[in-house]
Amino acid sequence: MNEDSLVPVLDVTNFSVDYGYGDDAVRAVSDVSFSLGRSQVLGVAGESGSGKSTLVYGLTRLLRAPGVITSGEVTLHLAGERNGEAFNVLTASEDELRQVRWSQVSIVMQSALNALNPLRRVGKEFDEVLRRHDRTSSKTARQERAIELLALVGLAADRLQRFPHELSGGQRQRVMIAMALALRPELVIMDEPTTALDVVTQREIVSELYELRQKLGFAMIFITHDLSLLVELADEIMVMYAGEIVERAPAVELHGAPRHPYTLGLMNSFPPLQGDRVRMTGIPGSPPNLKSPPGGCAFHPRCPSAHDRCRTQAPPLVAIEDGHRSVACWLHDSSSTEVVPVSLSRRAASRIGQGA
Amino acid sequence: MMEQVTRGDIVLEARGLSREFAGRNESGLFRKKRRVRAVDDVSITLRAGEVLAIVGESGSGKSVLARMLARIVVPTEGELLLRGEVIALRERRTAAYAGEVQLVLQDPFASANPVRRVRHSLERPLLIHGTPKEDVVVRAREVLASVALTPQDEYLDRYPHELSGGQLQRVNIARGLSVNPKVLLADEPISMLDVSVRLGVLNLLRELCDTRLLAMMYITHDIASARYIADESAVMYAGQVVERARGTRVMDAPIHPYTQLLVDSVPNPEKLSKQSSPTAHNVDSTHFNYEGCRFSPRCPQVMDICRGNQPPEVDLGDGHMARCWLSASDAQRTAVKILAK
Repeated sequence: MNEDSLVPVLDVTNFSVDYGYGDDAVRAVSDVSFSLGRSQVLGVAGESGSGKSTLVYGLTRLLRAPGVITSGEVTLHLAGERNGEAFNVLTASEDELRQVRWSQVSIVMQSALNALNPLRRVGKEFDEVLRRHDRTSSKTARQERAIELLALVGLAADRLQRFPHELSGGQRQRVMIAMALALRPELVIMDEPTTALDVVTQREIVSELYELRQKLGFAMIFITHDLSLLVELADEIMVMYAGEIVERAPAVELHGAPRHPYTLGLMNSFPPLQGDRVRMTGIPGSPPNLKSPPGGCAFHPRCPSAHDRCRTQAPPLVAIEDGHRSVACWLHDSSSTEVVPVSLSRRAASRIGQGA
Repeated sequence: MMEQVTRGDIVLEARGLSREFAGRNESGLFRKKRRVRAVDDVSITLRAGEVLAIVGESGSGKSVLARMLARIVVPTEGELLLRGEVIALRERRTAAYAGEVQLVLQDPFASANPVRRVRHSLERPLLIHGTPKEDVVVRAREVLASVALTPQDEYLDRYPHELSGGQLQRVNIARGLSVNPKVLLADEPISMLDVSVRLGVLNLLRELCDTRLLAMMYITHDIASARYIADESAVMYAGQVVERARGTRVMDAPIHPYTQLLVDSVPNPEKLSKQSSPTAHNVDSTHFNYEGCRFSPRCPQVMDICRGNQPPEVDLGDGHMARCWLSASDAQRTAVKILAK
């Protein structure tokens, strides 16, 4: 961690999102609070339906109906020309938002093919982004900038003349990343940018992102269901389940010693590439239906350590171990008399060699 | 026709299977049709009670291979043997063949009829394959139990949208099993499922393979899951099997540069290596070299011989095969030189 990481880029408090209104409302994101420092990488892990995408669409006000932000505050700390300004995202007008989007916050979606206009050459897309945000720029200056951006992600200048269908999946995703960086944003949000790609391309893109972050110093929110990928890339990891943050910790610590049974289960859901072949169990049952979430802790029906309290009371997200990590689980409550399994306790230095 | 099957018996065998598709035309008035070889000279054997994993990225031809084994796609070349008998590939697929070789697809929601109840999906194949009407209900309940969807009454009258992805994929597997096949071809059966339920389905496939002595082909892009479930693994690149071995040798001691790249690319928190990531020559991955080794444009260890000559299948002992000039014997290299003259 460097000093930069202490300067906040994004503050989120008590943020909730519902789908639908009144009695039909389904709570997709529930009471989420976190903050992100400059040039930090925050990983968000969770299964489909855990609310990880809804969270970032809500934060950027890109949520479509019937999604409704029901509570919370989102503050973006601007940089560049408006350095130091605290921008309230949720109360801003559409016009104000437009000035902040892309130049301060940009987003890369999972499917690059759907994000690019199939009838336009790649160069045209770049040109439009650059022109919209600086109407005085000359056409050649814009083109030079586009070539420079493509070079950043390892693509040749001739790709500007191509249509999206002429590029491979990895190249398209690189174009999306280059476009996201076009206006030098402070924060880049990546929503499963590599999920649709094969592992070799994923590896190339992830190492490029890592280098770009070092070079340009933007902060990043990286969403994926692949915890092991996050351990490599992120400074800190947030694990979501049923719309709530269940655990947040520095990446290496989370991987070395998870505290929440769901995090441990998630890690044990990926067969390892080395060691003896042992039978693994993953997590029994299936993710909850958010229309009728289970009472108490949302994870209790699938949790091997569930006890009576979990079935009736939802555990709050509380700081543990000197406050540098937090977990929402009654096992770690100071008043709890339950025995914490070794795999989830402070003594567990590493999970290697342990079953679920 | 209950025959005694023992573990390890060869059930389905493919010899030199290839499939060409007509590719995109070159531009111009007198344009030539380009032929794309989606699968090129693939030979594999599926054995009773064993899982053969086919690992490959998208476009490697692994799904076309599965469809040829299921006889949905007709091979351009090669032959198929079911229990030693050569199948007449030019003729229509018989119901008997379909009953013996079943295919389970990737997307459970796309492969189940959304307006029919689970009961219908399970009973229909039974009726088609000649199960007496009075047995159908019992049999449907049996297969549901075998994929751990119990109590069965809770599932039989549900519609696909009322089930989770993992449950529906179990129904699809049950449907494949209902006609008592000898071979199950599973094409990316877990890639669309929630992360936490994937292992459950993998374990189920392994158990079914062991208890019913099914010959199973597990197709995946996830080399770690192949390592978890398979008795034998084959890595495909651009339509060819580039490396194959029994057990976990393909992952633990990869020989082919592509396999090495694949293994090194998997996110692996036990070996934090973000700075020293492996490098492949960054070229358009859809551009293959059809003259020589398919992987040569991207290969970090490419040699002169690789560009113009197809590498031979090199036997490394104990059933470990690699299609690479790096492991080729001197005799094989000399043969190329003589031919060139």
